[in-house]
This record gives sequence, structure tokens and C-alpha cells, in this order.
Amino acid sequence: MKGSDNAQQRGVDYKSLSSLMIAAHELKSPLALLRQLALSLESEDLSESERREIAHHMKLVSERALRLTTDLTKAQRLEDGLFTLEPINPQQLCEEVAYEIAPLYRACGRELKVTRRQRPLLAIANKDLLRRILLNFADNALYYGDEMTPVELSVSARNNGGIIRLGIRDYGPALPADMWQSLGAGPRRPEQLHARPSSSGLGLSIAQQFARAMNGTVGTTRHRNGASFHVDIYASQQLTLI
Amino acid sequence: MNIVLVEDNILLAQQFRRTLEKSGYEVYVSPHAVGAIDLIDEVHPGAIVLDMLLIGSTALPLLHEMQSHDDLARIPVIMVTSLADDLSFESLKPYGVTHLLDKTSMHPEDLIAAVRSVTL
Repeated sequence: MKGSDNAQQRGVDYKSLSSLMIAAHELKSPLALLRQLALSLESEDLSESERREIAHHMKLVSERALRLTTDLTKAQRLEDGLFTLEPINPQQLCEEVAYEIAPLYRACGRELKVTRRQRPLLAIANKDLLRRILLNFADNALYYGDEMTPVELSVSARNNGGIIRLGIRDYGPALPADMWQSLGAGPRRPEQLHARPSSSGLGLSIAQQFARAMNGTVGTTRHRNGASFHVDIYASQQLTLI
Repeated sequence: MNIVLVEDNILLAQQFRRTLEKSGYEVYVSPHAVGAIDLIDEVHPGAIVLDMLLIGSTALPLLHEMQSHDDLARIPVIMVTSLADDLSFESLKPYGVTHLLDKTSMHPEDLIAAVRSVTL
């Protein structure tokens, strides 16, 4: 009997197994960092300010890992449809996301700027899912952008105001072509795990699932000096009634 | 003694830098291979502490580039990665890699010991 037949008999779900391995890979990095920080607290001769800084970093790293685990759980439950779509102010959401992730950016010596708009826009979305997509993008930009360059978060209207785009632009090395091609393909198999160095693409895949649940799409633009990641969602028509 | 640290995780780079600086090393950090080559040319490090998965590329192009220059090929490389289980130390040796440390199980002292052993 072939191995796969054997596995089928045992009821092994390879899709779930792949996702599990990718998630494990993604969590390895923050856990390894937490361990290094804890070992440092335990064994190194540190000043009080160094101890406080390390403790702060441990909090930020654990929060980042917990965001991923919550995202994974939510992605699994999307089909339950237990979320509502409502009119939201995307500009305000961007400000809230920038505020929420600012401590992590500060710890890494980076800055997340929100581009201000004159005209207000309203989008139809689930606020929590959209917030998680933006946090995902912001997290991605933090690690792939170059040091000393800001990351920009912006809102724009497209298709004559029918679509709202929330985008994050980072300034860093361009992504390899294979990573771009793989976007949209869902969680990748373990053998493809390193198509993009340092990342399995899991965060972006989750962002895509969240966007789909809101009838939206996730897209990317490759620049010579970095990348933009965006989510397009439908605009609310409420403002046109005023 | 100068050390070039090539690590794209900013907080981990800060941690390794603190550990090495406490042992008296001067540490220069680059998050990617392209910046690392410039840094290596500039500071002539006694050793390179290198992560495998970097922004935009793996460490392999950097190792290849170093091997193509006689002076750079002699700089010892300490690879620190969470992929240690998947890598063969023997296959990395020809690229000047003297140590392979596993981020998930190493102790800060292991890093200092590895750097010391190649910079004495």
C-alpha cells in the first residue's frame, strides 16, 4: 500500500497538516525570541533600564504571537458567518491601528504614519476583521521595510467612490517574483515555505481570507524600493444620501 | 573587535547585539545581505553572525559573494538560525561557516563562546 493510501485510511488531513506546519513555523520565531529575552533576563548582568526594556520587548513579542494565534482561530471560524458588516470610518480605523501597533514600531526604531484625508469615506466592513488585516500588513511592513524609513498607511477611493482601498506602503528590498505569484494561492505547502525568505506568507493568506469574508480583495504592488499591500472593500452609500 | 550581525528580526538583533557588546565586541547590524556586504567592506569584522532567512534573500548569496573574494572568504561565519535542524553543517563549512547555532535551543553564552572561539 502506498503511503498516501495508508494516510487516507488513517484519516490524515494533509491540508490541515500543511496549515499546522506553516503556523508552527510562524510561531517558532517569536517563541525563540521570547526564550532568548528570558534567558538574557535570567543570566546576563543587566541594568534596571535594560531589564525594563527586555520585559517590554517580551510583552510586544508575545502580543504579536497572540495576534497570529487569534487570527488563525478566526480564519477557521469564518465559515460560521458569525460576524457583521457595517459602515465604518476607514480613516479612523487606520488611526486606531497605528496607535495599537505604535509600541512595536517604536521598539524597532520605526514609525507608522497615517496619511490624512480631507473628505471622509465610509466603508462596509467588519471592523475587527479589517483591523486584523491592517495589523497584519503593518506587521509585515515592519519586518520587511528598511530601517529609518517610515511605513505609510492610507485610505483612498477607487472606481468612482464605489471601492475603498486601505493600503500600507513600505520602503525596503523588492519581494522576489515567486512570492508575488504565490499571493492568492492560499496557505502554502510546507515545501514552499521558504519561497519568500523569513516568511511563510501565512499572515497575508489570513488577510486574504478575512478580506474575502467581507466581499473584499487583497492586492499588492511591487515597487523598486519596497512594496504596497492593500485591501479593497465596498464603500458605504450612506454618505451619498446626505 | 568588530562583529557584523546580519539579522532581519530587529528585536532579536538588538538582543544579540546587547549580548555581544557586554562581552566587549563592537557590533554592526544589517537586516539584509546587500547591506551586509557594504558593512563587511567597511568595518572588516573579525567574525560574522548570520541568520539564514533574511529580508529579500537567504544568506546563501552573501556566503557565495564572500567566497568569491579572498579576504572575505577568510572571515569566519557563525550561522544562527531557527532552521538548524534542516541544514547540514558539513555542507555549510565550505562557505566559511564555523558554527551552526539553533535559535530555538541556544543560550546567549553559546553565541559568545562561538564568537570567542573564532576571534581569539
